[in-house]
Formats: sequence, C-alpha cells, structure tokens
Amino acid sequence: MDPSPQGALPDSEDIELQPGEEWLDEADDEQIRWMLSLTSAERLQVLQDFVDGLTRLRDGLVD
Amino acid sequence: MASSTNRFLDLLDLLARHDVDFIVIGGVAAVLAGSPLTTFDLDILFDPTPDNIQRLLRVLQEINARYKDPAGRHIEPDTARLQSMRMNLLKTDLGSLDVLRETCGFSYSDLVQKTNEHRLGELRIRALGLEALIEIKEKLGRPKDRFALTYLKRILELEDGEEP
Repeated sequence: MDPSPQGALPDSEDIELQPGEEWLDEADDEQIRWMLSLTSAERLQVLQDFVDGLTRLRDGLVD
Repeated sequence: MASSTNRFLDLLDLLARHDVDFIVIGGVAAVLAGSPLTTFDLDILFDPTPDNIQRLLRVLQEINARYKDPAGRHIEPDTARLQSMRMNLLKTDLGSLDVLRETCGFSYSDLVQKTNEHRLGELRIRALGLEALIEIKEKLGRPKDRFALTYLKRILELEDGEEP
C-alpha cells in the first residue's frame, strides 16, 4: 500500500524514472536557448516570477 | 514572519551588503548558468572563517533565520552550529535558505576558483560555474540531479556551439 497521503506529491529525491519516462533524459533546447539569451539578472527574475506564480496558485490568489 | 516564497535577490543583496564571503550553488547557480529548471531554495556555500561566520550570523539574525526542525522546535543558528554543521537548512523572513559549509566534500576554498561573477543590477555575486555544477551533480547522483545534469550538459554543448 502506498503510504503517502492521497494527492500528495512525492519528494523529488524519491522519484525514479519508469519505462516511458525517457523524456526526462531530454533537455528542451528552446528553453535553454531562451535562457542563454538573457542576462543573469533576467534569468534570476524568470525564476522569481515562476516561483511567485506558483505561490499565488498555491494560495488561491489566481482567478 | 516566515515568507511563503523566496526573495532570491533580496537574500543575495543582504548577504553582499554585509560583506559575507559566499558562493551561490545548487539550483539558483544552475539558473544563473542558463538552466530553465526551477528551484525554490537558495543554496549558498560560505567561507568558514571566524569573521565571515560572524557577518553571516548578523544577516541570519536580521532575517529571523531558524532551522527547519522536523519536531517544530525553534532553533536559531549560532556560531557553534555554523562552525560545526555541514548543512544548515533554514527558513527565514525572505524564504528558504540552505547555508552550507561544504558540499560533496568541497569547501568554499575548493570551489571559489570555479565560480563566475554575475551582475544583478548593482549587485555582484559569485555562483558556481557550469563545469563545477556538473561535477557536483554527478557526485550527488540523485534522480533530480540526473535530470538537472541533462540540462547542464546540454547548456555546455550549446555554449560550445555543438549541435546534435
């Protein structure tokens, strides 16, 4: 029986690749090229915006 | 009050303004190197000299840092803990902050030569370079590191102008 609570996300360190998940071994070149086109400050801002967005979603602040 | 989201730039700015000798490692260093993968924690490796530990401690006190204690106890970082513990996983008023004395057996002095300077507006910080990030991720070897490695190695290829 799965001991984790229903709906809970597994700890990322516990994730093992399963058959059919080989895509996890492929990098998205377009995403990388876009990040490489940015300055360091812009890259950090991308990360900050993403984290802020997820936090708003988690807190139910997004329509 | 603990912040629910990390204020990466504010944390880095505070450390720099207090002249803390540190390097950014982990996911934020990977982002600065061009990785599009997200992280929620700021990981830093600090120089464990007595003076630097005192400067770091002043920053940690200013942002109300305390350990992420599974038992829920309120434990604040202090000189003895920063001197003796390899990893200090903290929550602060500016979000999660992992303060490391060493990573994979590497200390600040081992890795500072393998960093790049990044300009973040007026702020200048040092973060682990791509090759060193790859070396550490390979040593860590966790599934999430393997995933990050795929991206870090591809960044290196693209920066070198290699195409598949």
